[in-house]
Amino acid sequence: MTQPPDAEGRKVSSLRELPQAIEPARDLWPHIEARLSQIRAGATAANARAPLPASQRAARRGWLAAAAMVACVAVGVWIGRSLLPGAVYGSADGAASTTGASALDAVYVSDPRYARQRAALLRSLPAHLAALPPPARAKVTASLAALRKAKYDLESELGKDPGNALLQELLVNTYQDEMRVLTDVRDASDAGRGI
Amino acid sequence: MGMARRVSVALWLLGASAAVYATSDRTFERQVPAQPRGVVDISNVAGSIEVSGWDRQEVSVRGELGAGIERVDVTSEGGRTTIKVVLPQISGRHGEADLHVQIPKDSELDVSAVSADIRVSGVLGVQRLNAVSGDVTSELAGSDVDAKTVSGAVRLKGHGQGARLHVSSVSGDVHLEHGGGDFEASTVSGTLVVSLDSARSIRARSTSGDQRFEAKLARGAMVDATSVSGGLNVRASAEGGYAYEVSTFSGDIRDCFDAKPERTDKYAPGRILQGTRGEGAGHVRLKTMSGDVQLCDRN
Repeated sequence: MTQPPDAEGRKVSSLRELPQAIEPARDLWPHIEARLSQIRAGATAANARAPLPASQRAARRGWLAAAAMVACVAVGVWIGRSLLPGAVYGSADGAASTTGASALDAVYVSDPRYARQRAALLRSLPAHLAALPPPARAKVTASLAALRKAKYDLESELGKDPGNALLQELLVNTYQDEMRVLTDVRDASDAGRGI
Repeated sequence: MGMARRVSVALWLLGASAAVYATSDRTFERQVPAQPRGVVDISNVAGSIEVSGWDRQEVSVRGELGAGIERVDVTSEGGRTTIKVVLPQISGRHGEADLHVQIPKDSELDVSAVSADIRVSGVLGVQRLNAVSGDVTSELAGSDVDAKTVSGAVRLKGHGQGARLHVSSVSGDVHLEHGGGDFEASTVSGTLVVSLDSARSIRARSTSGDQRFEAKLARGAMVDATSVSGGLNVRASAEGGYAYEVSTFSGDIRDCFDAKPERTDKYAPGRILQGTRGEGAGHVRLKTMSGDVQLCDRN
């Protein structure tokens, strides 16, 4: 396994490393089916009318081409914002955390409440680590590095084999474990105050 | 002796006595009545907490209080006894206290510590033991135990009695000897070394920590262990046998019954070993990304 290029940065070197399929957060088919039914009903009604003249057919094709271009640009912007490098969300030790997300974050961590909570925990992590006894701090930092490496390794392999159920399961486990550790560290740093 | 000289001598004596007070240990003793099946709640930041069960209906607290400890509060009310080591607000929270606590043996026990080590013996009730960097050591007596640390080690020792054992640590190692019942553990980089005399279920998870299990499984028991890069070594015999499924992405799979792992895909990495031992009454599922896996049905 290669090491991460930086704390959490994703460097996609080829298109093959991008996921082949991304499951939507909800089932889109009922809505699509309803729209298709509407379009079919509209087309049936339109067919019953007289055919359009050539100039109007050309104008309609122009609008369709423009709509297709807008759609292409939108998809490109989405890919640029969420899949390509630059969407760095900070190191696991919280040194420079922001609320961005990597491509696989977007796939596996789609719940916005989870994302907000995780971002908040990462922001406060340096302060929580500083409150721990020094030996504990060193061990926890090493564990966070292990989690970061595990996520990086799993995401790298999933980039090559996105449908691998074993890797998907282990990645979800790792995200859950990361959340548990961040919460435990926060609770631990508050423990002295509570006591 | 001039006035100035007398004042300076007085100040010196005052300072010296304060220094002696600050550096000397004090002892503390207190007994309070307690219910035989009440709850005992103990908290201490640093030092140690030693708890043992006895037949009396009272809680006894003895402590050696180091410099920087303000006091120990002991209260008993409505079936709950609370023992709390209090640090002064301005101490920088560095005071250590060594507590020796005796409680009615059927009590429920809640202990919280930061860097204090926790040791429990002879307590038959439910135990909830939490430490940050302190180690947790406890004798199991058939009741549920929930032990949680950040970097401290967890050592549990039982006699095979069935109970629900839940252990969680970030980087601490976990050792369980002669456990029984349902065992659940998670660690990131700590090592799990577990022996269970009669297990109904085992669930374990680690990121980079190795896991080693020696278990006698009850009929129909379930084992589910996963790790990303840690190794899994499971020696589990079972009444009624078990169906097993071992899968790894890039690790090795070894077993003691001459079954051969198969590739999951012709072109991609991944191996799987599956089959049945005996009647296949139980289930064993082991999964890793790069960690090696060993499975054997002989203890």
